[in-house]
Amino acid sequence: MRNIIVYMYERKALFRWFFFGILGAVVLYDITVHRPEEAHFAGDKIYGFWSIWGLVICLAMIIFWKWLAHGFLERDEDYYDN
Amino acid sequence: MKTIMITSGIFLHPATWFIVGALLLPLAKKLNLQKALLIAIPVMAFIQIYALPENFGTVHYLGFDLIFGHKDKLTFVFLHVFTLMAIIGCIYGLKVEETEQHIAAFLYVAGSLGVTLAGDYLTIFIFWELMAFASTFLVLFRKKKRSTEAGFRYLLVHVAGGLILLAGIFLRYQNVHDLTFHRILVEGATVADYLILVGFALNAAVPPIHAWLPDAYPEATVAGAVFMCAFTTKTAVYVLARAFPGFEVLMWAGAIMTLYGAGYATIENDGRRILAYHIISQVGYMVCAVGIGTEMAINGACAHAYAHILYKALLFMGVGSVLQMTGKSRLSELGGLYKYMPISLILTVIGGISISGFPLTSGFVSKSMIVEAAGQHHQLAVMLMLLGAAVGTFLSVGLKLPYFIWYGGRQSDFEAQDPPWNMQLGMAIAAFMCIFIGCNPDYLYNMLPFPVDYKPYFGYHVSESLQMFAFTGLGFYLLIKKLTPKRHPVMDAIRAPLTAAPNVHHPTGPLINLDFDWFYRKGARVFMWIANNPLNALNEFVSNVYQNIGCRMTMAIAKASSWFDWNGIDGAIDGSARGVVALGDKTRMHVTGNLQHYIGGSVAGVFVILAIVIFT
Repeated sequence: MRNIIVYMYERKALFRWFFFGILGAVVLYDITVHRPEEAHFAGDKIYGFWSIWGLVICLAMIIFWKWLAHGFLERDEDYYDN
Repeated sequence: MKTIMITSGIFLHPATWFIVGALLLPLAKKLNLQKALLIAIPVMAFIQIYALPENFGTVHYLGFDLIFGHKDKLTFVFLHVFTLMAIIGCIYGLKVEETEQHIAAFLYVAGSLGVTLAGDYLTIFIFWELMAFASTFLVLFRKKKRSTEAGFRYLLVHVAGGLILLAGIFLRYQNVHDLTFHRILVEGATVADYLILVGFALNAAVPPIHAWLPDAYPEATVAGAVFMCAFTTKTAVYVLARAFPGFEVLMWAGAIMTLYGAGYATIENDGRRILAYHIISQVGYMVCAVGIGTEMAINGACAHAYAHILYKALLFMGVGSVLQMTGKSRLSELGGLYKYMPISLILTVIGGISISGFPLTSGFVSKSMIVEAAGQHHQLAVMLMLLGAAVGTFLSVGLKLPYFIWYGGRQSDFEAQDPPWNMQLGMAIAAFMCIFIGCNPDYLYNMLPFPVDYKPYFGYHVSESLQMFAFTGLGFYLLIKKLTPKRHPVMDAIRAPLTAAPNVHHPTGPLINLDFDWFYRKGARVFMWIANNPLNALNEFVSNVYQNIGCRMTMAIAKASSWFDWNGIDGAIDGSARGVVALGDKTRMHVTGNLQHYIGGSVAGVFVILAIVIFT
């Protein structure tokens, strides 16, 4: 078990390309997949919409909450002790 | 006249097993049977829930009908996962030597089962308080200064929440003279019902009354947190689903919860606190589903509660193992553990992908029911909020948490190893269930309260999920530097002049994030000023009366019962009471001594609410 994980960890570059391959493959799959006729949402009609959604929400979430934390929420760990 | 009449056997009640088990544990420990009892009790309860009649254990007391046992399909799915979780939790905590921890856990589970089976509000209240009281000890038994303080805050918040619930119950009785626990319709809801709703919502950790959860859970004992993450919030989801389906306020509150919890988790540093915030996020899906209130949505809430208990416990077990083996849970202090704890890594990642809702895991088949229910209900904004939170969930729990503990971050200079076999077994059972449900959704769907006409696996749904997660992965890859838990030099420079005493300030230490608990941890000082000045005069008068009359009587009774406890009971239980006394002494040192003021404040608050409602 451990050896497999170590093997993967030592070949990061290979897995990076593998990961990019997956990104391409899921978008390709979305283009070929059968879409339900009655969609609840307009985005369901756009190819690759959920890829954009995943990326944009992920980036927005990190940037917004890190801004909130650095600007307003962060305190030293002993803040409540004093 | 007092008459107690038991119409059918109270010993059918699965909570009875846990209460009897808790009483037997000290004896079992002496006879070296503690481990056998720890497994036998939850297994017995798990088997027994299949044999429960629909109604049992009705007690007529003081003119009230206390219904201890009412079972239907909605009850069953929760009973099933609660007892299953008790088995898993007991296996995980099998090697915990302190019997008191197991007693607390057993009583906590008993409270949870009691609420689930209760058919009236008074019975709910009794078990509700048992849960709050017992679970507090799972925090206190960590026996650290921070956990003691967090434990008392946890208890006080739940006492306040319990009082609001009780106020609602009293008012409801005044209004309708009926305490049977059944569905409340939105149109007929009164102030009483909304007070009950607030009492329930506090246990479901609905913001802004959620801060007790990320405050207390990360401070609990390793095994205690595994129990806590399963029972309190999901019991609250159950009572909400029974009493308040279709309350639109819950739909919006739930949708906000999903994003709120996921957001805080992206900036948190402590592993167990990240998971605690994700309880809020995941319970948000369930609360939202209850608010939508359609059959599909209620099914979704139950399915998600079932799935959530298993994967969240798995995650708490995984991070708990790291805490147990390394003594650390902050991401900024961990890293590179893949070499030392590979099994924990794999099992935790299974939990991580389940909570995110990957195809072939339990989260996929349960969460999508709620999203679909929101879509069918034409709540597009809610649906998108839920889908946004799913991205945040994968980001924090699927990627950030395992990455910083097992791969990057600070490379560990300690030689840890995977935890003992029983902890691995507990995790393995939970991981198996996550994948089993993901591959056989009908196992879960057949248990749900309404017939299920939903197939989670179809091409487009799988494509939607895979795209979302793959590209969340890309976002993580792009901004990983920003996610690393560390201090911000610019912000430190801005904040520095505000810090008065440089010797107290540690500019290199880890950070915490403010949340709504600020109001009672710092804001309480404002309250204390009021308490110390105008109220103090009144207080002194009352305490003079109390000291002259009440105290003498109390002391005499206390002396008598203490003699009996020390010499009578203690002889049998071999010093465990003395242990509690010692813990009490320790606890007293840590607590600031203003406890009675806080309790007094919350009681006064409820009386004010009652006065306003009754006299206006």
